[in-house]
Amino acid sequence: MSYYDIDAILTDAEKIPCTFQIDVPDLGYLDNQPGHTLKSGSRVALPIWLAEMLAIANTGAVDMDDPSQSSKSFITFDLPPALGNDVVQALKADPRSVPLRDQSAHFYALATHMMELSEEPELSAVLRKTFVSRAAEIALHARKVGGGGSSYHGREGGGGAGGKSKGKATKEDNASNLGVGGAGEDFLRGLDEWERKLFRSAHDGTKASKEWMENVKKR
Amino acid sequence: MPMYGDLGNKLVQHAKRTQNLSHLPPYQTELVRAVAREIRDLDKDVAILLEPFQGSFDPSAEQATACTLLVNHLSMRRNKRCLLAYHRTRTDKLEELVWNGADVLDLAGQTTGAPKGVADGNEGSGTTSSLSPQEEDYFRQFGDLLALYKGQWTDIDLTGSLEPPRDLFIDVRVLKDAGEIQTEYGAINLTKNSQFYVRQGDVERLIAQGYLQKLG
Repeated sequence: MSYYDIDAILTDAEKIPCTFQIDVPDLGYLDNQPGHTLKSGSRVALPIWLAEMLAIANTGAVDMDDPSQSSKSFITFDLPPALGNDVVQALKADPRSVPLRDQSAHFYALATHMMELSEEPELSAVLRKTFVSRAAEIALHARKVGGGGSSYHGREGGGGAGGKSKGKATKEDNASNLGVGGAGEDFLRGLDEWERKLFRSAHDGTKASKEWMENVKKR
Repeated sequence: MPMYGDLGNKLVQHAKRTQNLSHLPPYQTELVRAVAREIRDLDKDVAILLEPFQGSFDPSAEQATACTLLVNHLSMRRNKRCLLAYHRTRTDKLEELVWNGADVLDLAGQTTGAPKGVADGNEGSGTTSSLSPQEEDYFRQFGDLLALYKGQWTDIDLTGSLEPPRDLFIDVRVLKDAGEIQTEYGAINLTKNSQFYVRQGDVERLIAQGYLQKLG
């Protein structure tokens, strides 16, 4: 993850639920009430780039009577709804039937980031299993899509969703993959950014090796 | 309710879109200015907040102020990152275009598809440049730098095609006037719509720049 990584920056814009631990007179605008004091205990959804440091930073207050209270943070935060219990239960039941993209376009990146901030051993295990079983499915689709003649008819429809190709891509690449018709359509639409990259790599790899094989035969 | 950093986020979304395009979309002058303005406003706020303390600010005594200061600082830092990432995405693209042999005049004129995808790179063509003046400068200077680098090897063309040519000679059609060029077999005057049978090595650059079209 680099400083200039566009996806990392967009991941940091995801909002997570936070609770303020102190009164702050100037920050009412964060809770849609500019000019008012933001009261201690207010629940506000803040982007990660803001919440992370506010949660880590120490207020520096030293409470002589109760030293355990002396290093209080400005805010505490909870897991975002995208990683909530509902989603985790659904993932446990069947990872492939959950459209991760509807939860967050950067689902895994968000989860990884949250796990860096707080220990979530169960979540970690569920997500690992989720990725593995979905990756197999993604690889399967990537090989089918745009490969055989039978799925070519779906290409036109895929243009819109498939506009993710890099500058080096030729016209053919632009037309390929993602929103391709058939049973896989819903599943592929639910891929998060990371999975899309995986899909693209798997798809391009299959295509490239096929082209190479055909070239070898010609000679 | 708009929040600090929202504009910067918009800029990064532009950058995200740019990554997936073969051409460079117009520079977001207004948005960049607005984000820079936001940073200046935040900086002013910080100065005002700190003024009464006369340089002896104690965060543990003034928790609320410390929190506001931190929020302002983080917002500025976020905006800075968004600005830098946006411009970096574009300069990466510009460098790629230079390596592909694009011409700054083409870019300045309107949106230019990467040389390979001329057919589908024509949407949004206006008369205004899609580059900021600074970017045009960057593009030119990077081009000079590349030329200087390439100049070290006279018998290798670093930006040449990696595909070995099938034929030494090819048919080309002239798409726009390119003037006279010198070849081993004498001078050729490239006027629009004329056709020539030439050595591929002599005209590769002109094909990449969109002056000539390879036939057959």
